[in-house]
Amino acid sequence: MKRGIAALFTAIALLASGHSLAAHHSFAAQYDSNKPVTLKGGITRIEWANPHIYFYIDVADSSGAVQWAIEGGAPSTLYRAGWRKDSAKVGDIVTVSGFLARDGSKLVNMQRALLADGRSLFVGNQSYYQKGR
Amino acid sequence: MMPGHRSFSRGGPALPLARMAVAICALLVWAAAAAAQSTAPPDLSGFWINQYTPDLSIVLGKQPPFTEFGAERWRTVDTAKDPTAICLPVGPSRGFTAPFPFLLVQDDKTISIMFEYQAIWRAIYMDGRAHPDDLADYPYFMGHSIGRWEGDTLVVDTQGIDERSWLDTAGHEHSDKLKLTERFKKTGPDTIQWTVTYEDPVFFTRPWSIERTFTRGKPGDRVLPYTCNENNKDVEHLRPHQPNLNYKHVPDPPPARKPGER
Repeated sequence: MKRGIAALFTAIALLASGHSLAAHHSFAAQYDSNKPVTLKGGITRIEWANPHIYFYIDVADSSGAVQWAIEGGAPSTLYRAGWRKDSAKVGDIVTVSGFLARDGSKLVNMQRALLADGRSLFVGNQSYYQKGR
Repeated sequence: MMPGHRSFSRGGPALPLARMAVAICALLVWAAAAAAQSTAPPDLSGFWINQYTPDLSIVLGKQPPFTEFGAERWRTVDTAKDPTAICLPVGPSRGFTAPFPFLLVQDDKTISIMFEYQAIWRAIYMDGRAHPDDLADYPYFMGHSIGRWEGDTLVVDTQGIDERSWLDTAGHEHSDKLKLTERFKKTGPDTIQWTVTYEDPVFFTRPWSIERTFTRGKPGDRVLPYTCNENNKDVEHLRPHQPNLNYKHVPDPPPARKPGER
């Protein structure tokens, strides 16, 4: 029960802070929390690099396929959470939920990504850091 | 006088005296060792995990005691201009509130902090030196730190901090007059209580403090690379963002007068 309440508060804190791993700069300077988006596509490239990882997916639309850039957490955070640079492969189909970039480019801040087999992809381990309150 | 008597009369008492002297010496050595042990500073070295604190005012429970100038800077700050977004060093206190760990290495003369975030370091000089006379002419993003032990607490004085650094991700700024006083106190084998006091007459009417806890990492934990310029694509996507434009400054009330004070 106590654990459930703690988890609930953590979830609220994460929602309230928008992107919890935006230490590099303010989340809102780059992304619009009023513009959530969900995209599905095949991974075409993975950049396991600082300060944040990127991967790219081809999303089908009426004119064919459009490439979207997906931004995730810092490599060190993801590494400690058990992810490796080959945890996902080019060609994997992934469904990404996140927020659109404010500048209108085809860029999403990833909050959640699910592989076709149901695994969550590249999710940072928030519990590693005590929430700053 | 018989030789034996003589030897007895001189050597006899000498033997217990020598024994006593040895015993006293041993006692002194033990006492010195015990004293040294009791006054030896605690070992703060190790791999430590921060409490991520993107907005210091949330810990404080209110905004810091801004001057008029400090309040206007807070009202108009553009978070797209965060220096760390273009990979500049994180600043001396913000390194301890970022969501990345640090390594602390300690000896008698220097305490070194190696922050994973922005792969930057702090040297805390423990040899009794003062700040350099020309520090104001040569500021550094991480400042110049001198430390001393007050009992079991490490007290660090940091000045000469480049005014371009920020205190947090929310956009609390400071001037080149900022002085930090940090206190590091071990509260258990695996916890350090860190108290930081911010003094800056340009931005704040009086000193203010926050407190955080560092927790020891797991055995084998290591500092991982944070090569910020490696693939920093964010900067081209940042757009002006001023979250505090509706902020109304309520000046700090004057300090209460003590009885008898005019």
